Amino acid sequence: MAEKTPLLKVEHLSKDFPAESGVFAKRFARKVSAVNDVSFEIYPGETLGLVGESGCGKSTTGRTIMRLTNPTAGKVYFEGKDVAAMNKRELKEMRRNMQFIFQDPYASLNPRMTIGEIVSEPMTIHNVGTKEERMRTVRELLDVVGLNPEHINRYPHEFSGGQRQRIGIARAFALRPKLIICDEPVSALDVSIQAQVLNLLKDLQNRYGTAYLFIAHDLSVVQHISDRVAVMYLGKMVEISDWKTLYAEPHHPYTQSLLSAVPVPDPDIQKSRERIILAGDPPSPLDPPSGCRFHTRCPIAQGKCSQEAPEFREVKPGHFCACHFAEPFPIKQSSIEL
Amino acid sequence: MAKKKQSYVDLKDQPVPEGSHLLEVDNLKMYFHTQDGVVHAVDGVSYTLDRGETLGVVGESGSGKSVTAKTLMGLIEMPPGKIEGGDARYRGKSLLKMTEEEMQHVRGNDIAMIFQDPMTSLNPVYKIGRQVGEGLRLHRGYSKKEALARAVELLDLVGIPEPEKRVNEYPHQFSGGMRQRVMIAMALACDPDILIADEPTTALDVTIQAQIIELMQEMQKKNGNAIIMITHDLGVVADMADKIMVMYAGRPVEFGTAEEIFYDSRHPYTWGLINSIPKQETDEKKPLTPIAGNPPSLVNLPSGCPFAPRCPYAVGICHEKLPEHITTESGHYSACHFADDPKFLAYAPETSRTRANLAARKAAGAQHAAKEA
Repeated sequence: MAEKTPLLKVEHLSKDFPAESGVFAKRFARKVSAVNDVSFEIYPGETLGLVGESGCGKSTTGRTIMRLTNPTAGKVYFEGKDVAAMNKRELKEMRRNMQFIFQDPYASLNPRMTIGEIVSEPMTIHNVGTKEERMRTVRELLDVVGLNPEHINRYPHEFSGGQRQRIGIARAFALRPKLIICDEPVSALDVSIQAQVLNLLKDLQNRYGTAYLFIAHDLSVVQHISDRVAVMYLGKMVEISDWKTLYAEPHHPYTQSLLSAVPVPDPDIQKSRERIILAGDPPSPLDPPSGCRFHTRCPIAQGKCSQEAPEFREVKPGHFCACHFAEPFPIKQSSIEL
Repeated sequence: MAKKKQSYVDLKDQPVPEGSHLLEVDNLKMYFHTQDGVVHAVDGVSYTLDRGETLGVVGESGSGKSVTAKTLMGLIEMPPGKIEGGDARYRGKSLLKMTEEEMQHVRGNDIAMIFQDPMTSLNPVYKIGRQVGEGLRLHRGYSKKEALARAVELLDLVGIPEPEKRVNEYPHQFSGGMRQRVMIAMALACDPDILIADEPTTALDVTIQAQIIELMQEMQKKNGNAIIMITHDLGVVADMADKIMVMYAGRPVEFGTAEEIFYDSRHPYTWGLINSIPKQETDEKKPLTPIAGNPPSLVNLPSGCPFAPRCPYAVGICHEKLPEHITTESGHYSACHFADDPKFLAYAPETSRTRANLAARKAAGAQHAAKEA
């Protein structure tokens, strides 16, 4: 790993949104700090899972990387180039190598375009091949994602949710990008279909060597696809590690509670296992708690937590955690052995 | 308001007729007559429910689980919907034969429902307090003031902080989890006999999902109401359901106690649902085992077993003959031709119990071997 250069490098990325609009917005600047000092790297062919509750800034992170919004502070490097400093032409070139899969398979496909048009659009924009070649690629892609290539002239409404998500995936792969940002690609799907789509994404990765930034709110979904997993809470990264360590010995109490909240389809286990159910909602990012942002809901919070923000430190090689008590509390494994 | 109240007898104060259950659904059939043909949305659903019990209804989108619940509540527009057969009796009285007026008295008062999307099921232009108290004013003849006071208590009960302040706020000022709590408060306002929850946690984060499930269980303990929990995720009902009905293409394919469904399941579709859920394993990554393909169109169902085209074990007979329910002594049934074949049942997914049994057998074997030596 050390030899490789990262495909994507995010350094101290922050993104604030103004909370007020209008003439005096600047003067009484109240800000929502959606992402606060987030750093990570993604290597070629790797999957990084990014997990957190709604409003923790995981989607904003994805959008900022692609420069769909501009970062407030910090840097994003894609293949060594600073994304924020790119001009329009460079940006277009970069986006050829960085694609997006969206959460909502209903809203992310234009209902007035046929499947062929939707999947070939990235190629049209980037002037790849002739029209016939593009259509041939589209047929291949549809076949690869498990759809009937004969359906190339159908419209999105003729497909089910899972099939639509496959169309979105085919579109993202049309240009053979090096990185795909998957923003909750399976959250809107039934569990049975969810597993199909996860397997498909894994297969495509093995086939094309694409790296993924896989955003989700459910740790169990991410586990299957990720090499490394990062957990975010209220705009901050609280833990990052390779997937095995994260699931076997989660250090941060937030990670532990997320793991224990995942329902297990086995009543004996579900009833007997220890669960940490967090009280209340995440606090508003308009006015984040002092010190450790998690201290208001943390089951092991102490006096120090509300005053001092914990450092994001390396607890083990490659395993970082932002908690004052991460080490003295090697808390129970949440996966179940019998 | 008071006049209206007198003309009705509160159904939930009526005793359950002897020999029958609180809710009895009997071979219910609800078809939709559309331009494309007849949609067999609910095709022969039967179950019974008593107070204090929880029934989990599990299946994929389009398996008819929501339509079943909505039919009970009289929320299906007819036409295009049409009840083609069967009955649903609440305390011995047929819900399907009630007039709209009677039904209005049942909805919210005797049977209440929570929907998946808490944003669209609350009215954005009314204050929360008014919406929570609406049922009380309607069914119990509370005054505005009394209803508001009770709304504050209810919000407090479902764990909403500062309820006195929150009753005067609007839905957009609440988060998703808080809105779902409001929905629960609203549903429980009139102390209903049955609470139908239609995917109440699907739109929520896992941490909030755990909170909501805990809340529903707590309220059930307090009020003794029955719950019908509709979900596509078997994991959600694992620790709350007493009975589970698995639905596929409008039909129940397996029905049993939670024990039976999880530890002795007899239908390949149930196995598929269990296997689709990502497991929390930390030793190695195995590929997930999804159910192949998509649910069938309910207009022209495949001949034979509707699950056959997606079933990894399907053989000739499955494509030709619709399987009957094979029922065990305890009332656990499965609509699969091979549900009573022990060889076939060996394909069932591993559970904590089979693993424990296996370990015990291994240990016994080792002991035996040690003795021999």
